[in-house]
Amino acid sequence: MNDTILVVGAGPCGLSAAHAAATAGKRVVLVEKEQVLGGAPILSGYARLVPSGEWAKDAIGRMVKRVEDDPAVTIRKGSKVTKLEGEAGDFTATLSNGEPVQAGAIILGTGFTHFDSINKPEWGFGTFEDVVTTTQVEQMIGAGKVYCPSDGRVPERVCILLCVGSRDRQIGREWCSKICCTVSTNLAMEIKELSPKTDVYIYYMDIRTFGLYEDKFYWRSQEEFRTKFVKARIAEVTRGADGRLLVKGEDTLVKRPIVIPFDLVVHAIGMDPNTDNPEIAKVFGIELEKHGFIARNEHYTGSFATNRPGVYAGGSALGPEDIDTSISHGLAMAMRAIGDLNALARKAA
Amino acid sequence: MPIHEKSLLTPDQIMTADKLVIDGVDVSGHWNTMIKPRTITDYDPDFYKKIEGLPGGENVSRCWQCGSCTNSCTMYAINPDFNPRYWIYCTNLGLQSEIVKDKDIIWQCVSCNKCTNICPKDVKPEGVMKALAHWLELEGHTPKSKSSVFDEEFTRQCLARGRIEDSEVMFNFFKKTDQDVVRLVKTGWLGVFIARMNKWTELRAGRWGKFLARMPITGPLKMAWAMVFKPRTKSWGRTGEVLAAYVEEQKRKAHAAH
Repeated sequence: MNDTILVVGAGPCGLSAAHAAATAGKRVVLVEKEQVLGGAPILSGYARLVPSGEWAKDAIGRMVKRVEDDPAVTIRKGSKVTKLEGEAGDFTATLSNGEPVQAGAIILGTGFTHFDSINKPEWGFGTFEDVVTTTQVEQMIGAGKVYCPSDGRVPERVCILLCVGSRDRQIGREWCSKICCTVSTNLAMEIKELSPKTDVYIYYMDIRTFGLYEDKFYWRSQEEFRTKFVKARIAEVTRGADGRLLVKGEDTLVKRPIVIPFDLVVHAIGMDPNTDNPEIAKVFGIELEKHGFIARNEHYTGSFATNRPGVYAGGSALGPEDIDTSISHGLAMAMRAIGDLNALARKAA
Repeated sequence: MPIHEKSLLTPDQIMTADKLVIDGVDVSGHWNTMIKPRTITDYDPDFYKKIEGLPGGENVSRCWQCGSCTNSCTMYAINPDFNPRYWIYCTNLGLQSEIVKDKDIIWQCVSCNKCTNICPKDVKPEGVMKALAHWLELEGHTPKSKSSVFDEEFTRQCLARGRIEDSEVMFNFFKKTDQDVVRLVKTGWLGVFIARMNKWTELRAGRWGKFLARMPITGPLKMAWAMVFKPRTKSWGRTGEVLAAYVEEQKRKAHAAH
């Protein structure tokens, strides 16, 4: 029986799981494929987080430091698990540098991959410099200036297109990415704060600012920051004679076609399954669900279990998830893993 | 080919020519009807501010288009073109021309306030209808309402002289609203009004004294004198000018308050 817990992925979910397991008295090995800890919020340079409003580098930075300072946690950056043998209570994982890791349980916080807008070419990303993604706008806000990449001017008018890479059978994304509505309304407010004269329009099919995000983000951006919400799914983004982008579609509330000029078009990109998931499934011997996220086993009594006993998955590895929930998943998985290890120990005794 | 969604066409979008030659080809006759593009090519991002600045329109930008107002609307039940939800959307996006198209029905709101009670975002659609009607009038899309004409005459006299002369207000109001005073006295409500001020029953009963005692004599004389000499309140001076400037300033501030 091995008492170590192997945590794969050092994003909000993995960092939370690693710390939780360590505080509960277990030894933890934390493996991260990148050279930097923190996951998507750090790697993609998010600005202020939903819903706390704290800067990502501060909030996630605290999570990173907490784990780095913990003597019970061994960190392996720039590493992947390449092989897994054994069973619950007695796994041997091999890292990409050849190092073997003995562990009793494995927690996967392997996260997601941002949708690549190049897969919706009709919306102009990759064709026009002034078509950007929400991630790029996060970075602009982090740097303190919203601008058009083509010439650096401050945009008079910005539109955010929702559901880019979500809810779209054409490209096999039959899921709602859950958080983009809230992120977009948050960005709309941040744009307005940096540049009060900029008008922000959000093109939507539905607004899904779930739970308490409703008034804090949707209502506030509309009522206090005067974001305009237009019900239209855009057909095409082109460029007009004056160089400004033209957003074409049908406004279904006016029942008329629209061709509206914009300076900056922002894709609210969704959450794809981690592009490494097929490899992860193979290495850990677990199944993926039909969209390509990690398949969750029965949840009511076997929360966060995969189909392989002793291997747990949570956060955005299971499907689009927000940061706060991913952190909770990390804590919950540590609880599950330790509980199952204790049961194994009792059985052995 | 049949025209899809024909119902979306309005007469002003259809162009018909008796003789039509396009690129040298005579298309008169069967092919002489064209439809103007319905594409919206821009928004007026500041239009909503004008409506927000008018009484009743304060909450217009809160709307999220659920349609509760239109569904609950008394007028909509009678006329499906009466669509508050739509006008609120057009206000927020700045589609002025769409609102102007409906200038002859927006004022029909009966202020039953069912929309106000049902609105989940507290937009107060009834107030928005008032603000829109007000804006249409201010911009000259609809004629001035009689009450506006009355208010203007009333205010004009107040500012000019520090007082109003009832008979002059009424006289000018009737004149500006094309109401024939003689006809109103002979056959309209004004005749009834005058008759009731006088005690004809006393006269018919032969009680001249009582009739004369009740007959308004000094009042009308004073009114006639005032109409001719247009007296001003004592030491009125430049008060009217100052007041007018102040009122203008307050109006401007109120309209730009949001």
